[in-house]
Amino acid sequence: MPPSDQALRNREHWDNESDEYQAVHGPQLNVDDLIWGAWSIPESEVGALGEVAGKDILELGCGAARWSIELAKRGARPVGLDNSSRQLEHARGLMAEAGVDFPLFHASAEEIPLPDESFDIVFSDHGALSWADPRVVVPEVARVLRSGALVAANVSSPFLDICYDEENDRVDTRLHRSYFRLDTAPEGNGAATYELNDGDWIRLLRANGFAIEALIELRPQEGGTTTYGGYVTYEWARQWAAEHLWVARKA
Amino acid sequence: MSERNVEAWTRANTDYTDARAEEAWGKDEIDWGIWAVPESEVHALPDVSGKDVVELGCGTAYFGAWLKRRGARRVVGVDPTPAQLETARRCMAKTGIELELVQAFGEDVPLPDASFDVAVSEYGASIWADPYKWIPEAARLLRPGGELVFLRNSTLLILCSPDDGKAEERLLRPQFGMHRFEWSADVDEGVEYHLSHGDWIRLLRENGFEIVDLIEIQAPEGAETHSRYDFVSAEWAMKWPSEEIWRARKSS
Repeated sequence: MPPSDQALRNREHWDNESDEYQAVHGPQLNVDDLIWGAWSIPESEVGALGEVAGKDILELGCGAARWSIELAKRGARPVGLDNSSRQLEHARGLMAEAGVDFPLFHASAEEIPLPDESFDIVFSDHGALSWADPRVVVPEVARVLRSGALVAANVSSPFLDICYDEENDRVDTRLHRSYFRLDTAPEGNGAATYELNDGDWIRLLRANGFAIEALIELRPQEGGTTTYGGYVTYEWARQWAAEHLWVARKA
Repeated sequence: MSERNVEAWTRANTDYTDARAEEAWGKDEIDWGIWAVPESEVHALPDVSGKDVVELGCGTAYFGAWLKRRGARRVVGVDPTPAQLETARRCMAKTGIELELVQAFGEDVPLPDASFDVAVSEYGASIWADPYKWIPEAARLLRPGGELVFLRNSTLLILCSPDDGKAEERLLRPQFGMHRFEWSADVDEGVEYHLSHGDWIRLLRENGFEIVDLIEIQAPEGAETHSRYDFVSAEWAMKWPSEEIWRARKSS
């Protein structure tokens, strides 16, 4: 199956934006740690993935693959997948700098070019479970995971989605959009991210054979800073979970 | 749940629930919450026929009566407010529907371990009891494989609710740290408990529950703001969930 029109628009978006994105956010992301989301919350605090050493791990929407590079340094066997070839070029550069090597795949996560039951962990940190339709991707995740394996997806919360003021391109405290009509959020030039409410996530995961393990609501550390200030402000994110992680285990 | 809540519900029974109880008991269809969303639409309940059911915070026990009529083998209604249980007894006598009623707080239920197949709570212990105490009680009362189904106000509604008056179309209080709420109206409305979705999932999982569903309720088209429960307008509840039903299963 060819990528969907939306996947192609998102690919074009990331191919165009990649260099600037890496220039702006690289300084925040280039740290020797496993970090989640806009506020770089360490995995040692979040505890979403558990032990990673010796595990086969697929990063969906890996971008410059900093997560996978850190996983490789910790003894995991990562694989990175991204929809943008330019992002993967950045990944190759950082891998060479770090002296690690692992497979990278250029594909939309709508159709993962990897065999059934080949991973212990699949995760996305604002990656392909945000930039591709979770209703299409989650069945693929279920397919490539071994039984008893884990999926972890850090996504924007529906509270952030409904409080996002598209007109002024910022979040505030007003409820701008209906919770029941979440679908996609425009990211410019026809690109879009996908939004599901909490009940829909639970039903989607369960329908694909996952047991819900946790919903980890991320909160910036006191005095935390971010290069993603256009996504959410510190004041907002300290009070409400702008991002949260769905963690589920395949039966 | 506290004595304050017993006082608040004794008053509410005199003002409202006692006079409504017989009509509620007489309803043919099971429905949920202030928008009376039919069970036939939301499918929140397991089949209760032949099952042992406990209702935590039953009030006048209309929900338990519906389940008994649906063929539950045994329905035990637990509530701390004597006036509401008195109303429930009157409804039992009038309808001939036999429930067992126990006066107790949802946090501390004087019933044996593993004695029920289904635990339900509709605006009962689900908001009026401390979840860190009543969820472990529900887990204790259920047999392995038993189901817990409860309706509460949505987390979003609580975040948009001022101390007094209807929910607004903006976030008014923080999500992080939410737990115990005292609404300051003219009369003491008692103490409510509300958690974030992440905290609900953690608490249920820690008590051996598997998450089965989260049904976020949308007020149906044409709904009108409830005459008594006017903490949220129908217009608000058509766009955002004012109530939600959690369904969880105790691991076998």
